[in-house]
Amino acid sequence: MTETVIPAVSLQGVTKKYGTFQALTNVSLTVAKGERVVICGPSGSGKSTLIRCINQLERHDGGKIIVDGAEIGAHGTRLPELRREVGMVFQHFNLFPHLTVLRNCTLALTRARKMPRAKAEEIAHHYLARVRIPEQADKFPSQLSGGQQQRVAIARALCMNPQVILFDEPTSALDPEMIKEVLDVMIDLAQGQMTMICVTHEMGFARKVADRVVFMDRGEIVEAAPPEDFFNSPQNERTRLFLGQIL
Amino acid sequence: MTFDVDFALSTLPFILKGLFTTLWVTVASALGASILGFVFEVLRRTSRVMGLLMRFVIDAIRSTPVLVQLYFLYFVLPFWGVVLPALVVGVIGLSVYYSGYLAEVFKAGIDAIPRGQTEAAKAIGLTRLDVIAFVIAPQMLRNIAAPMGNYFVSILKATPYLAVIAVPEMLGSALDIGSRTFRYAEPMLVVGAIFLVLAVAIGQGVRWLELRLLASAKR
Amino acid sequence: MTFPNILAGIFEGFGVTATVTFYGMLYAVPFAFGAGILQHFTRGWARLAVTAVIEFWRSSPVIITLFVMYYTLPSFGLTLSGMTVGAMALGLNIGGYGSQAVRAALQSLDKGQVEAGLALGLRRWEVLGLVELPQAFTAMLPSFVNQFIQLVKGTALVSLITLTDMTFRAKELSQLSYDPVGTYTGLLVAYFIVCYPATILGRMLERRVSTPARGLHDL
Repeated sequence: MTETVIPAVSLQGVTKKYGTFQALTNVSLTVAKGERVVICGPSGSGKSTLIRCINQLERHDGGKIIVDGAEIGAHGTRLPELRREVGMVFQHFNLFPHLTVLRNCTLALTRARKMPRAKAEEIAHHYLARVRIPEQADKFPSQLSGGQQQRVAIARALCMNPQVILFDEPTSALDPEMIKEVLDVMIDLAQGQMTMICVTHEMGFARKVADRVVFMDRGEIVEAAPPEDFFNSPQNERTRLFLGQIL
Repeated sequence: MTFDVDFALSTLPFILKGLFTTLWVTVASALGASILGFVFEVLRRTSRVMGLLMRFVIDAIRSTPVLVQLYFLYFVLPFWGVVLPALVVGVIGLSVYYSGYLAEVFKAGIDAIPRGQTEAAKAIGLTRLDVIAFVIAPQMLRNIAAPMGNYFVSILKATPYLAVIAVPEMLGSALDIGSRTFRYAEPMLVVGAIFLVLAVAIGQGVRWLELRLLASAKR
Repeated sequence: MTFPNILAGIFEGFGVTATVTFYGMLYAVPFAFGAGILQHFTRGWARLAVTAVIEFWRSSPVIITLFVMYYTLPSFGLTLSGMTVGAMALGLNIGGYGSQAVRAALQSLDKGQVEAGLALGLRRWEVLGLVELPQAFTAMLPSFVNQFIQLVKGTALVSLITLTDMTFRAKELSQLSYDPVGTYTGLLVAYFIVCYPATILGRMLERRVSTPARGLHDL
């Protein structure tokens, strides 16, 4: 008996337009379970659009997106159920300012997973400890620093125990001294076999934890390779140009 | 005919009985208008077509007098076989009229919330209703407590319109006294004074609440 | 009676509706500017007095002030025509709201504008007329349009003090034709025709002055 390994996420020829602007052109990418993929590229290259399509915050116009074996947008798939399996961490945290840190983490558990409050809080405390801020549970987001807020956002995503977690430039809005504390948490996650797709400019992070680095430009995937090959011997001219600018 | 203070005071108990109806109608209509207005506003955001349709509905409601809307409901509903007590017709009328204004207030309150809030709420897998109930509505309410309160005061001030469809609120009671005694001046002035006190008091209450909310928002 | 006939019959009252609106404006506009500017300039007790006058007209329900004036003033020896009472009660109420738009617009201007005007050697009232009001005017416009709509709709009230406006005509027609559905639908349509263009204009003006939304929340 052969065991077919279902990839965590599979994109097949995905396209996306905003009016006449072609944001994504024929993008194909398969991410295996447990794989860590870093997506980089100049601004406007479609990186954010790509991962926002995976949890359908943006609707794609063409091609297939398959998450954990189920095609998105196919008849019968409901978005809330998909999104419970796909965690997301945003550039600007997007914590809910009217709720405590703890409630930010438990909201989806109690509402979407119908979990009793006490059980949900237990899980939330567990992940808050994992992102190293167990003591902030009863504060409101505005009382925390940017780095702490982003770690709460990561805990919030982890609480749902997602199949895959998407990071959309998680450190871009942070002051330099706070970037490390967030990256440390992400490295810790990567070592724990979580499937991760990260849009980031942190090339040190990519080198350290990525299984594959994907370079995008003008809505296309230009190159995808393991970090050693990607950084040491990039194949494409555009990749070399980009690396030359940021390294 | 001269103004008779003793007579004015003697009308007070009867008019105060109308006050109960006035307050009851205000609360019920404020609730009805809020719910209906919120539904309009949420529907407006579901799709492009609904957006245009709901905007037309809201604008149409705001382009006709509340008095005429009340007449319409009062005289036309029975013709269609819907017979309701005047009080209920009045509450429905005020609810519909002010839902048009509250929908606009809710719109402003939601527009002031950063877009990332809806995105984050969707991203953690909340259903549409949960996004609205747990993320959008609470933040919206904090943004609009003051204008919403002001419209509740407006609803209070619109309750005397119900006198024209024979609801015995305060103005209705005063007109009642007038038609029985042929003295309108005294009961009218009493009603006017009570409304002025109520409107100013509630208006101040709204302002006080606004300041408190502003203070707590800085938390 | 066909629907166009009904509509034509209702519009026979348009002249009265328009006249009350026009006279109402004669009270509303000067009161709005006068009271708004005074409130902007005065301090202490003077300001309290101005505010009290504004609040009186704003806080009293317009239907009540209308009835109080109509029924009470004669017993103090002052008999005014229905038209005058209607225009005054509606106009001063709307003017009270308008004064807040004037004051808010004046207060939102940069203080440097006044200082620059004074530094040029202009007198204070010249600064007001040449520098402050022209700039503040755009900010007042949306509110003025909305208040104008409130005034037009408010004129329906004068049908209650026996003026033959559109609403009064509709009530007559309804009794003559035994067709409440047709006449009251016609009356809603009539006001819609008059007010809807202003509602659209108000929306356009509002979009020009208001800050853009922080997020389009598709719910």
